Amino acid sequence: MKSIFFHLMPYPELPPDFPEQHRSVWVDIDPKLYDPTVGHQTYNAYLDQLEFAAECGFDAVGINEHHSNGYGLMPSPNIIAAALSRNCPDTNIVVLGDSVALYNPPLRVAEEIAMLDGITGGRMIAGFPVGSPMDTIYAYGQNPATLRERYHEGVDLIRQAWTSDEVFSFNGNYNKLRYVNVWPRPVQQPHPPIWIPGGGSVDTWDWCAAEDLVYCYLSYFGYKAGLRTMQGFWKKVQELGKETNPFQGGFAQFIAVADTEAEAWDLYREPAEYFFNTCLHVYAGYADPPGYKTPNTVRAGVEGMVERAAREATARREASAADAAKAGSAKPSYGSKKLSFEDMVEKGYIILGDPTQVTEQVHELATTMNVGHLMVFSHFGNMDPELVKMNTEMYATKVMPEVAGLFEDDYEDHWWPKTDHQLAPVGSRAQ
Amino acid sequence: MNAGAPLAGHFAPGTLPYRDGHLGIVELGEGPTVGYLHGMLGNPGVHAVLEELAATGHRVVAPSLPGFTGSSEPEGLRTLHDWVVATSEVVDLAGLAGAPLVASSVGAMLALELAAVRPEAFGAMVLVAPFGLWDDGDPVADPFGTTLSVQRAMLTEDTAASAAFFDDPADLPADMVVEHGVHRYLTRTAAAQLIWPLPEWGLAERLHRIANLVTLVHGAKDRIIPASYLERWAEALPNVAGTHLLDDAGHQADFDQPAAVARIATAAFA
Repeated sequence: MKSIFFHLMPYPELPPDFPEQHRSVWVDIDPKLYDPTVGHQTYNAYLDQLEFAAECGFDAVGINEHHSNGYGLMPSPNIIAAALSRNCPDTNIVVLGDSVALYNPPLRVAEEIAMLDGITGGRMIAGFPVGSPMDTIYAYGQNPATLRERYHEGVDLIRQAWTSDEVFSFNGNYNKLRYVNVWPRPVQQPHPPIWIPGGGSVDTWDWCAAEDLVYCYLSYFGYKAGLRTMQGFWKKVQELGKETNPFQGGFAQFIAVADTEAEAWDLYREPAEYFFNTCLHVYAGYADPPGYKTPNTVRAGVEGMVERAAREATARREASAADAAKAGSAKPSYGSKKLSFEDMVEKGYIILGDPTQVTEQVHELATTMNVGHLMVFSHFGNMDPELVKMNTEMYATKVMPEVAGLFEDDYEDHWWPKTDHQLAPVGSRAQ
Repeated sequence: MNAGAPLAGHFAPGTLPYRDGHLGIVELGEGPTVGYLHGMLGNPGVHAVLEELAATGHRVVAPSLPGFTGSSEPEGLRTLHDWVVATSEVVDLAGLAGAPLVASSVGAMLALELAAVRPEAFGAMVLVAPFGLWDDGDPVADPFGTTLSVQRAMLTEDTAASAAFFDDPADLPADMVVEHGVHRYLTRTAAAQLIWPLPEWGLAERLHRIANLVTLVHGAKDRIIPASYLERWAEALPNVAGTHLLDDAGHQADFDQPAAVARIATAAFA
């Protein structure tokens, strides 16, 4: 099993009363809360953490794209990938990913990933999300009724652009291009592996199964809650008569490891509470714009990941308002009863413990969900940099070796950069 | 289109074949034909404004636009131009060409767009809170960046007025409940497609072509399009017969005050 150190890059200094005083961490987060000096320090600290994870031996480092978002400071993941590409010469980089429908034309994604693949010598994995409703519909003004069609057309254009040996014309419904010619070409031929991060759409997992693409469920709610979604994907793979190769699946998981369980409870409480109670303070009105879901998903009653985050934030807010009303408060605030750290661990949002306990749970996650790619959140919330370092190193040295062999003997990872295609670091990178 | 299209249930008492799918349609009453082009709430079956128009001695014909209540999904409709062409086809299929028209909200916007290129599509028009204008200083609200319950409260002043759309009838068979939910979702999707992200597609530049006599109606408590837009429309349209600001009415004044809208229409079409 591959372990990918994944970073969301949250803004670490949202005020303690953020849930009470503000409606949402996403879309309409108050611009005045952003301090550019904090941003400068944060970007550099997070890049250090990604580079450290690469040094520790993670199979890859991973990043993603969000807009107008207090818990995701990467409107352009490719810029972060570019910053990493020179300092992590031996590590694969998972961009999970570029929200294809937001690029005009999406050819830009094909070009930038090809550039990154050139710089890294063939160590890129390209993720293509539809994108959350907050990012695509609200922050970037895409029409929910046409978003998915635009997205699929964009992915089709990128794949054609990477695989065609000729300059060609692309006559799409949303993209009219007389000359398609990606120059430079990716090092990995015909193209870097493609992973599709999903949030719970039935049609996305059906599509991944049919097209032999990696389906990654980037959940914040742990493996216990994510099981149904991954089972839906594997059921579709089976229906198509295909091999349920675990390397065609990916999952994200918060990890909190320390020398002892007691120490882990003590160390990770604050950053966990910051993430789940402040960073996930998302207004429910941004979670389900009509048209974002497909009719099949509506009919199946499947709830998307960010929809769940918003629903839970709303439930806490309403409970808080009810308490305030009982107490006679004239003006209920925006929120928010707190989700307890104990609940986060109990429900599996966070895998916590000593290295043995964490290893056991990661093993259980991987085998029950049948996933061969684990996106590891060793950083979350406002975690202190030294704690991030400890968490990262302990996972890399004490957990990862115990789970690295999972699935490796029985399945081939067709969705990973092939080492025999990679080019050795050159120039100053060679040192 | 759509072998697996959701069943329309109470939303579509009648259907018309349309392209590879169908349109939902409601017809009632006897007398001179009046068309009705729905707003964001679609045609949730036989609803009050249709009954009121029929009661005033009209034959009311109310087709559901593609994607709305009882119609198939609007495949192939991506741009405003596509929608205007589709609206033209719907008008012809429903036998409404040249007839007087009551239109509301998104339907009123499409009626104006069609009238700008095909003035003979309609006779006189009564338009309830059309989308299509935008003032930076007094912007149209976002009805989709909110929860469903708030959206419902934005559509009508009295939420009971939109019950035909939002609340399933007690006698709806269990297997239809999910399909009704899907239909509501598709209807909201089609409305969002027409007005997202901002309901301004250059209509103001085309209004000079509209020769039809237009009567304007607006809910005084419209929480989506400010009531001040009534005056903006009156100034922008070439042939305005009159304006009516209805108290105790929200965005879909045709649902909040169906009898008043029917009276205004009857007078306008006399």
